[in-house]
Amino acid sequence: MPDVQVTIDGHQVSVPANSTVLDAAKVAGIDIPELCAHDALKPIGACRMCLVEVEKQRVLHPACTFPVSEGMVVHTASDAVLGARRFVLQLLFSERNHFCMYCQTSGSCTLQDLAYEHGLTHWEFDRAFPKMPVDASRQFFVMDHNRCILCRRCIRACDELVGNRTLGLKNRGADTMVIADMDIPFGDSSCISCGTCMQMCPTGALMDRASAYMGATDEITRVPSRCSLCSVGCGVELIVRGNRVIRVEGDWDAEPNKGLICEVGRFGLLHERRQRVRKPLVKADGALADADWDDALQKAAEGLKSAESAVVVSGFSSTEAAQAAVNQLPGKKMALGGALVNGDNAPLSVLDETDLIIVADVDLTEGYNYRMASFPIKRSARHRGVRVILLDDEPNGLDAWARYKWSPDEAERAVELAQHAEMPVIVYDQHSAALAQELAAQLPKAKTIGFAPEGNTAGLAEVGISEPFANDGFSAYYVIAGEAAEVPQELMDALAKADFVAVQASYREPWEDVADVILPSPVMFEKDGSLVNTEGRSFELKAGVTTRRPSEVEVIERLGALL
Amino acid sequence: MAKVTLCTDWLDVCSGCHMSLLDIDENIVELLKHVQLLSSPVTDLKHPPEEGCDVGILTGSISNDHQEEVARRMRERAKILISVGDCAVFGGICTMRNFFDLEEVLQRGYIETESTEPGSEIPRSPEIAKLYPQVKAVDQVVKVDLHIPGCPPPAESLWFAITELLAGRTPVLTDDLLTYD
Repeated sequence: MPDVQVTIDGHQVSVPANSTVLDAAKVAGIDIPELCAHDALKPIGACRMCLVEVEKQRVLHPACTFPVSEGMVVHTASDAVLGARRFVLQLLFSERNHFCMYCQTSGSCTLQDLAYEHGLTHWEFDRAFPKMPVDASRQFFVMDHNRCILCRRCIRACDELVGNRTLGLKNRGADTMVIADMDIPFGDSSCISCGTCMQMCPTGALMDRASAYMGATDEITRVPSRCSLCSVGCGVELIVRGNRVIRVEGDWDAEPNKGLICEVGRFGLLHERRQRVRKPLVKADGALADADWDDALQKAAEGLKSAESAVVVSGFSSTEAAQAAVNQLPGKKMALGGALVNGDNAPLSVLDETDLIIVADVDLTEGYNYRMASFPIKRSARHRGVRVILLDDEPNGLDAWARYKWSPDEAERAVELAQHAEMPVIVYDQHSAALAQELAAQLPKAKTIGFAPEGNTAGLAEVGISEPFANDGFSAYYVIAGEAAEVPQELMDALAKADFVAVQASYREPWEDVADVILPSPVMFEKDGSLVNTEGRSFELKAGVTTRRPSEVEVIERLGALL
Repeated sequence: MAKVTLCTDWLDVCSGCHMSLLDIDENIVELLKHVQLLSSPVTDLKHPPEEGCDVGILTGSISNDHQEEVARRMRERAKILISVGDCAVFGGICTMRNFFDLEEVLQRGYIETESTEPGSEIPRSPEIAKLYPQVKAVDQVVKVDLHIPGCPPPAESLWFAITELLAGRTPVLTDDLLTYD
């Protein structure tokens, strides 16, 4: 269809025929307030804040849902429009508890911003004061129904973006409430605590426990960085105040996650219970004790020099740290998390284009396992009718989204179906690489997405550390661990038997029993560098905060100088 | 020209809004060149005179019958009535109790709090003001001519409003002068 001409506040713009008035206003550079609308969501016209006057139309229309037509003339700031918006704002404020002075979101609240913008000095209507519950049954964030304006952004985010469809509504009119599943506590529901709803919430209804009351918009800085906790490498914004990361949000502009992050990325490090390594630790009389940097590095160098040593690098290290290890440290280099699975990975975006997904014996909803990738699978199953086939003998978090679930031994049944698909996608990780290869060999049209273990295993491979750890009987080890928590038992056994073990780690666990020396390592919030995700894209890691401890690279260089 | 006469009073309030008024600092000298303060909670004379005043300022919400009387008296005697602060404008933090029954609130406040001595009673003397079941903003009881929200409103907002009024204009609060917290 040809573009249509629309005049908005005197500006003439040409926009595609299927645009809404809001889309056209954005093209014309005219600001229309949005409350329930969000760029990542389909508009529903719930809040009526974007009402505009369209000539030859009897009533005001919401710009977010009203389609443009040829020759349409729109006024976005007429007296009728501004009066209607002020009326809508007053209704919203009168409904529940929207007293800003004791709300943690004051200063970062879209509702409040709009009220300021519209010069709302008081409310003309009586307030309802309904007694609404607060649901604090989830570990990381709280739902306060008193602050809810029923814009349904959370519900739509959970459904359209995450594909989880945990949230819904009950009752009608003023009694309407956001509920989880069949109205059970949020903490007992099918919620996966990804926090997308919270990031979407325009008011104080969804509140992060860790960062509540810790900083409003003008008190914080947003540092765009990457989550390096798994190989999806989601784009995040570190919310920083006073040299402290108080919250992590998904970056709406970032590929491949487009604003979504998982529970691990959003809350993992901020709620980490393991003890940080803040000073170098050296084992003396069987126990780790604080040491100064020179002594600890000297001790590590002596231990590593005295025997045939190997270096084990985790995928939580930046590419620069891995490069430094290759350049500066002697001995064989091995990857802690395992092997990079293949070199021919499709981008995650194919999950939103495919018509059939085979999940080959991997649970994308547990641990550090690429949980973000489960979102496009779930939303594809929910909204595009994509057939999801699980090949798994165990219970899998995607069970409820799967059309078929068979044992990996019955892979030929999946092949049979996938042969007729336009573009089947096979998703797997290092443990199911053989199965995926077997499937791909029989499906020439198939695209594969193999998840590299840990955050930056692909980056390690780029600098030549591609061999997975194998116990070749070394008697001394240097482990560049970073945040690593899940460590292969084979490695722990080898370390326990070795004569000397030095570890560069962010946390004491799981190293304190096997390490002779532990050198502090920054966590992802604290380091600059780069990483390569499982799709092969390079991303920049940016430190949200500064520390007085030396960087990953500096520690490796100082140690290397002693060897 | 005769000075503009001003009376202020407070209702259910923490008194922060009056502190904010005093926070206009040396401008208070300038203010008193143009304005005669007839009564306020922080001066000797507490009640607006019967012959009235040009401008009345009320801070705080209306939570009991005494406060309603104070508000009505101010309305009767002031040509222009300004409600100052979130409590006067919206009901503010005092309306937290509106989400509960009055008896629940009294029970909690006088009997159940952790610091209450055993044997305490809810005071019910006829001499003390009677609590209303619902806390109200000032404009839910009397007509208000100008609202200056804020908890408390910045001293700059108050100074701006006063100077605009003295200049014969209706103050329009924008940007940093309009705040709810």
